[in-house]
Parts: sequence; structure tokens; C-alpha cells
Amino acid sequence: MRKASYSVTRLQNHGYLFILPTLVFFTIFLIYPMLSAFRYSLVEWNALTPPKAIGLKNFIVMVKDPRVINSIVRTLHFSGISVAAINVMAFVFALMFGSRLIRHKNFLQSLVFLPVILSIVAVGVVWEFMYQSTGLIPILLRKIIGVSPIWLTTTSAAPYAIIITYVWKSVGYYMVIYIAGLMDVPTSFYEAARMDGAGFWGQLYYITIPNLRNTFALAVISCIIFTFGQFSIQYVITKGGPARSTEILSLLIFREAFELSKFGYSAAISVLFFLMLLVFSIFQLRLFRSGTLGE
Amino acid sequence: MSSYQSSQRVLRTLLYVVIGVLGFAFIFPFLWMIVSSFKLNRDVLAIPIRFFPPEWNWMSYVNVFTKFPDFNFPRFILNSFIVTTLAVVFCLFLSATAGYGFAKYKFKGNGVLFMIVLATIMISFEAIVVPLFILVRRLGLQNTYWGLVIPESLTAFGVFMMRQFFFSLPNDFIESARIDGANEYAIFARIAIPMAQTALLALVIFHAQWVWNLLLWPLIVMSNPDMRVLPQGIALFKGGYNTPYPEQLAVSVIACIPLLLLYIFLSKYFVQGIAMTGLKG
Repeated sequence: MRKASYSVTRLQNHGYLFILPTLVFFTIFLIYPMLSAFRYSLVEWNALTPPKAIGLKNFIVMVKDPRVINSIVRTLHFSGISVAAINVMAFVFALMFGSRLIRHKNFLQSLVFLPVILSIVAVGVVWEFMYQSTGLIPILLRKIIGVSPIWLTTTSAAPYAIIITYVWKSVGYYMVIYIAGLMDVPTSFYEAARMDGAGFWGQLYYITIPNLRNTFALAVISCIIFTFGQFSIQYVITKGGPARSTEILSLLIFREAFELSKFGYSAAISVLFFLMLLVFSIFQLRLFRSGTLGE
Repeated sequence: MSSYQSSQRVLRTLLYVVIGVLGFAFIFPFLWMIVSSFKLNRDVLAIPIRFFPPEWNWMSYVNVFTKFPDFNFPRFILNSFIVTTLAVVFCLFLSATAGYGFAKYKFKGNGVLFMIVLATIMISFEAIVVPLFILVRRLGLQNTYWGLVIPESLTAFGVFMMRQFFFSLPNDFIESARIDGANEYAIFARIAIPMAQTALLALVIFHAQWVWNLLLWPLIVMSNPDMRVLPQGIALFKGGYNTPYPEQLAVSVIACIPLLLLYIFLSKYFVQGIAMTGLKG
């Protein structure tokens, strides 16, 4: 008996070897850099001369730096509108494709899903091309409604040009999440609701939405986190312009460090970025934890 | 009853119209990218707009590879394939081993270590990009494939997903192999991995798509023009002075092809991988 339990312990210790590679790489390339980010945020450093400790000066400068404040506002504007638009549209599409009235679902769904699998840089290239003054979008808009904004060279329209492109690219992804969520609602719930005389809206309100609470939470939270970190579309279409109207935080972090060589300052902005997302990240972590099986 | 049926018919027609218009709006920019890549530079933004090229021009697909000495696109494409392959293999290795270890062994600290791994989903890439660059440079990994691959392949989500999968795998298979005298690594490689094929394939596609599209990290870590990956090459090509649109669009179409092919043949796993990010609680 004692021998058996001894060998069982030894057997269980094989687990350490299985998780070792992950622990090593996560520690070196994720956890250590995260801790260093806090350290670098307290120095002034151009990567040529040795770093100089300056305490909290980066943060004090940062809160008064119009460029940083602009980026915070632009990030919140871009993320707020995009996340709302993406999730509302994705949910409505999922409902439409879930309707029993529609056939050829797979084909129609894959049309909406297509932008998800296109290269994001390619998406930036083609939309920038379509937003040109004699490009497809202004010409079509003038034909249909008579006017069109000057998309990429005015500070009022450029952020929306980016948002439209990003929403178009992302809706299909979240639609798939919502469709998966909808399929998990037992059909017997709907049958029971119909017996009680609930129509489409009644079923939506009493059955669909309450049963999709977790799906909503996960989709919205991961959408917020993804959208905050969006970089490629802005980089390709506007490079942050015109007049920094699309210079979101990820672009600013990139520029401060790798164009202006202000590594300490850039790290301080990263810390701010991390803190802005922290509430959502913790919430996401809790959702994942509640989803873990077999404890 | 008949009024109910006719209202159903109206609703159905309406739904089809709405979905048809939507589907068209979603696919049109892609079609526009393709047809425009076959136009001559003078036709590409000409008014009035024509859908099909007045004169078909295949040369942009050739020019991209021959006329721009600063942009070695064949090399960028090769780099992208190498990086994506390495990243997928590496991510799969880490996720499968750790997922299996956490799910199937009751060692001390299992729960705590798993929570630490899971907690790294809170670390967004933008938050660590500066220290990561410094670290990668110190390790001599700047301008190497691994320097690009390693930091972008550490996904707590992959570990989480594989752990969930291996939990659902019955222990009987493992126990009976043990009784037959198989060692732990043979059991993992010959029994657990083959049974995990579907989950692994979903992870492959999810990660391949992620790595194929990377832009920010390559811009930082691949400063040597020969080490650039395709999206980076396209972004810099586009930012160059007076790069003609047909060439920009042609190389963009090329960049879309691998994932489109993957989708055509393995669409089931695409959808599965995404649906799993929405893992129900």
C-alpha cells in the first residue's frame, strides 16, 4: 500500500515536466517584461546612453502632454464606438442567420465572415484606396445621397473611416461567437415560451438575452481588449494622421519608443495602457476561471 | 392562418433582401481589391468608375516581384511562411504539453501554477513591447525568426483550451496504457495527442491566422530588410513614395491567398476555434 502511493506521487510529478516549457517561456517573455515595464517607466533612456532614474517624472510629464491626452481620447473614441457597433451588429446578424426562415445560411454567413480571414494589412490597403477622393466610397455616396465627407484628410472624418473599416473587418468574428452561443440555448426553452404565447420579441427578451449573458460578457470584454490593442489599420491607412486624429495609444507607444527613441517615456505610456485595460482584463480572467472544468 | 402565412412570406422576403444587401456589402471590397489589381494605374481611380478593367493588366503581379529592388517580396513571403510554421509548431507544443500536464497530473501547486499562467491573459502586447524589445535584443534574437516567433506564441488561451480538452478525455485510456507498461511521454504522444486532433487543428488555424497577420512586432524586431515578413513589407511598400495602387493591391491579394485557402479547406476548424474563444461559462 505504501509502495503504491509512493509510486503514484512519483507518477504525478511527471506533471512538472509537462508544464515546465510553458512556465519557463511565460516567465521570461511575458512576466519578466511586464515587471520590467514598471521599472523602465521610471527612467529616462534613449537606448544609447545608460538609463537615468527620474522617479515618477515620466508620469508627471505624461498627464500634461497634449499628445498623450489626445491619444487617450482617440483610443476611447475609437474603441467605444467600434465595440458597440461590432457587438450590436454581430448579435443582430447572428439572430438573422439563426432564423428558421432563411436557407443557404452557410453561404450567406461566409460572406460576412470573409473579411475576418483577409490579411489585415491588405484590408488597410484596399480601404485606403476606396476612401481616395476619386475612389469608390466618395463617388458612390455622392451618387446615392448627394454628399460625401473628405475621408482621410479631415480630422472629423478620418476616425470614422478607420472605425468603419475595423467594424467591417471584425463583425464576422463576433457573429460566430454569438451564433455558437445561440446554438447552446435549448430549443425546449423556446417551445415553452411559445406555448405561453411569447412572440419574437418576448422570446428575445425572456429567453435569448438572459441565456446569452455569458456569451455577451465574453464577446464584449474580449472585443474591448482586442480593440484597444488595434494597431495595423491605423498604421496602414492614416499613420495616425491627419493632425494626430487617429493616433491611438498603441501607435503612440510605438512612435515614442521606436521613432523618437524615448524608451522610458514609452514604457510609462504602456503602463498607463495596461492600467486602463486592467478592469476589463480582470473581468476576462474571472470569466475564464468560472469556465474552468474539473477542479 | 393564411394571413399568418402571408406575413411569414413578407418577413422571409424582407430578411432575404436585408441579408443579401449585407452579404454584398461585406464581400464587395474584396472583389474590388481583386478587379482593381488588374487595372492600369491610370484607370484605377478614373471617373466614371467601372467595375471591370477597361484594359486588363496582369503586369502588376509581375512588377511587384521585379520592379522594386528595395522590396524583396519573394523573400518576405518565404519569411512569413517560415515564421508562421515555427510559431504554430511552438504554440502547439507549449499548449499541448502544459494543457496535458495541468489536466492529467495532480502534482503540488497545480492549481496555483495554472492560475499564474491564466493570469497572463491580462498582459497585453502593447504594454510590454518596450521591455520585450530590449530583452530580445540582449538575447541576440533581433532579426531572427525565433525573436519574432517566441513572444507572439505564448498564449494562455491555448493552454487553457488544451487543458479543457484533456479534462474531457477519459482517464481509462491512460490507465490501461500504463498497465501495459507504456511510459508517460509515450502515452502523451501516442494516445493523448492523436485524440486531441480536432482541438489541436482549431488551435493551429487560430494561431496561424494570428501570426500571418502580425505587423507591430515585426516592425520592431525585424529591422534587417531581408528579415521582413509580408504584412510588414506591404505596409512599408505602401508608405513608400508614389507606390502605384495596382501593385499595392496585387501584393495585398497575394497576402490574402494562404488564409483563404486554409478557410476553404478547413472552415469547420476556423469557426470552432473562434467559437471556443466565446467558451461558455
